[in-house]
Amino acid sequence: MKLSTEFMGLRLSNPIIVAAGPWSRNGEMIKKAFEAGAGAVVTETIVNEVNADIRPRIAYDGRGVQNIRLYSDILIEEWEKEIKIGKSGGGLVIASICAQTPSEIKHIAAKMEKIGADAIELGLASPMGEGIEVLAASTEKVYELTKAVVDSVSIPVMVKLSQNVSNIAKVARAVEKAGARGISAIDTVRCIIGVDIGKRKPYLSTYGGYSGEPIRPLGLASVATISQSVKLPVCGIGGIETYENVLEYMMLGASVVQLGTSIMINGFDHIGKVKNELLEWMEQNGIENLDEIRGVALGEIKAFDEISVEPKTARIKADHCFSALECNKCSLCCVYGAISVVSGRVQINRERCRGCGLCCDVCPEGMIELVW
Amino acid sequence: MNIKAVAKKAGVSVATVSRVLNHPETVAPDTKAHILEVMESLDYTPNWFARGLKLNKTGVIALMVPEILDQGYMEIAKGVEDVVRQKKHSIILCTTEEDRTKELENIESFFLRKIDGLIIVSSVLNKKDLAQFKKNKMPIVFIGKNKEQKGENVVFTNYKEATTTAINHLIEIGHENIGMIYGSKPKTENAEKLEGYRSALAAAKLKVVEKNIIEEENTIDGGYLAVSKMLNQGDRPDAIFATSDNMAIGAMEKIKQLGLRIPEDIGIIGFDNLKISGYLEPKLTTVAKPMYRMGLIATRLLFDIMEESQSENEPQEILIQSKIKVRKSCGHEDRLSEIF
Repeated sequence: MKLSTEFMGLRLSNPIIVAAGPWSRNGEMIKKAFEAGAGAVVTETIVNEVNADIRPRIAYDGRGVQNIRLYSDILIEEWEKEIKIGKSGGGLVIASICAQTPSEIKHIAAKMEKIGADAIELGLASPMGEGIEVLAASTEKVYELTKAVVDSVSIPVMVKLSQNVSNIAKVARAVEKAGARGISAIDTVRCIIGVDIGKRKPYLSTYGGYSGEPIRPLGLASVATISQSVKLPVCGIGGIETYENVLEYMMLGASVVQLGTSIMINGFDHIGKVKNELLEWMEQNGIENLDEIRGVALGEIKAFDEISVEPKTARIKADHCFSALECNKCSLCCVYGAISVVSGRVQINRERCRGCGLCCDVCPEGMIELVW
Repeated sequence: MNIKAVAKKAGVSVATVSRVLNHPETVAPDTKAHILEVMESLDYTPNWFARGLKLNKTGVIALMVPEILDQGYMEIAKGVEDVVRQKKHSIILCTTEEDRTKELENIESFFLRKIDGLIIVSSVLNKKDLAQFKKNKMPIVFIGKNKEQKGENVVFTNYKEATTTAINHLIEIGHENIGMIYGSKPKTENAEKLEGYRSALAAAKLKVVEKNIIEEENTIDGGYLAVSKMLNQGDRPDAIFATSDNMAIGAMEKIKQLGLRIPEDIGIIGFDNLKISGYLEPKLTTVAKPMYRMGLIATRLLFDIMEESQSENEPQEILIQSKIKVRKSCGHEDRLSEIF
């Protein structure tokens, strides 16, 4: 059984990569990530002109995080030292970079290669600082910027894409055509995390990027779409908190994954936890190598006309639901009026039931299933 | 205090101390640490003049700008300094006033002083001048591009495209009669802005009122004077594009003195995005010109060349994007474009 894997021609000890963000803001943090077991670390996004930090700039609603921090606050000259410190932790450092023109971005990329980065991630998908349209929304721009970088460095280049675009497959194809070696997705999604109704203002003072568990379904859909549209290896990002989430991304085609918000909230040790649980799962399921499960769920994504219409209806798994006196969630959620609770007993009218499946997920006891 | 005393106290040869100063990577870490400690205890600082002679490097680069009082050029200088400090070099700063003779004289004196590299902003040198310098092998990076610098290392921004965006912003708001106050310097960049102005109006099938393109000095007073002339001659425009924020500031003053309202009677858009422009009343919509960033990148490029053998580096032309900074002076009602 092994976790080691190859991604863009790089040998990784395991598929868990630390994403670009405040937690990879300097050499010391990168080193800590390696000590905690990361397979690789992406630096916070390095740009030519650093920005002063706004305070506060990170908000958490218990599930997801909004951040409004614009890129790394460390000068390119200082990153030379930081990357060295990071690499002393013994892993691969991927430099995340961003700029608006091909000539500017390739200049930064060449510098990153020179100072020891093992790969480049083009951070073209930040929902902040680059206008109402993210850079990655324009296939032409993505192609131009990617091509310029690919042509000027010999280390592998991946491009980070955004959910804030109308056709991510088209953008992915542009990345492939430009010669990148991989795609990572998704970046944070533009958000306002909430409004303080007492103070009558949003919790943070501008639009920001949302990350964490709530964006995982968006990430999964994007990774599946990318996997189904290009041959490039994909690095799945977005709301990964557990080993199950890692497997979900992989079954939809991801070769490796990135963790960010879950590390920010739980600390670097979270990497070790996810890694160990992943190994345990592999052992229990007789999986030798994660390649065995890569993309296995993609074949189950179907066109509407391929989905066979089965006459499934809901049924209580046991002959009686003992919670029905306190809980009637199933009957409340049924838009077909098929479920009722009569004298503490759940009754399903299988004539009325149209088999939508919602009650199965709503039932806190998992007592309902669809059968025919 | 000299290098011999350091060597003696550290119990090493003068050559070893010298290597610590000039090629520290060739000295064993323990020895290096010991020698550095001794230097500190003796309060020793190397004689930079002697060091320069030995290494054939002075640790000095020069920055030439057209005008030293202009805030934009000082932003470039700040960018240059931020990188130079990281690289432990010093800067000589001087002006060219966009005068070829002055520029040449300065460069001559840099050659004599054996500086390590040079950054020239808005150079007016021609191809022949540049060919002359090639013999001296001094690395040069230009900020701002004209056709004379083809094949050189250049960092520049897209004035024409940025101006087109600015004019389109005015057109989208509904302005049709758009005048332009045009700074006589810097020549190349303002010529590009004029091109952008004309092409945007042509693309929108709006007429260019030639008498409403007025050239004046690129100062607050120049802007004031230009607008005074423009508004004196009838056919008052409903918006004005100024080639610099300074000129826009002068223009705003004159417009207000005439009892006209900005943006209701006349909209105004500047160029540069000076810090002060965000504090005017109304706040000035302008084009953010990445001066600081150009300074950073030009210096990075210069050190790339200085640190590597020239042949390894193909000359690079690096484009840094200017972008519109929407505020209140043009009369839009789209708050979103101010945020993004």
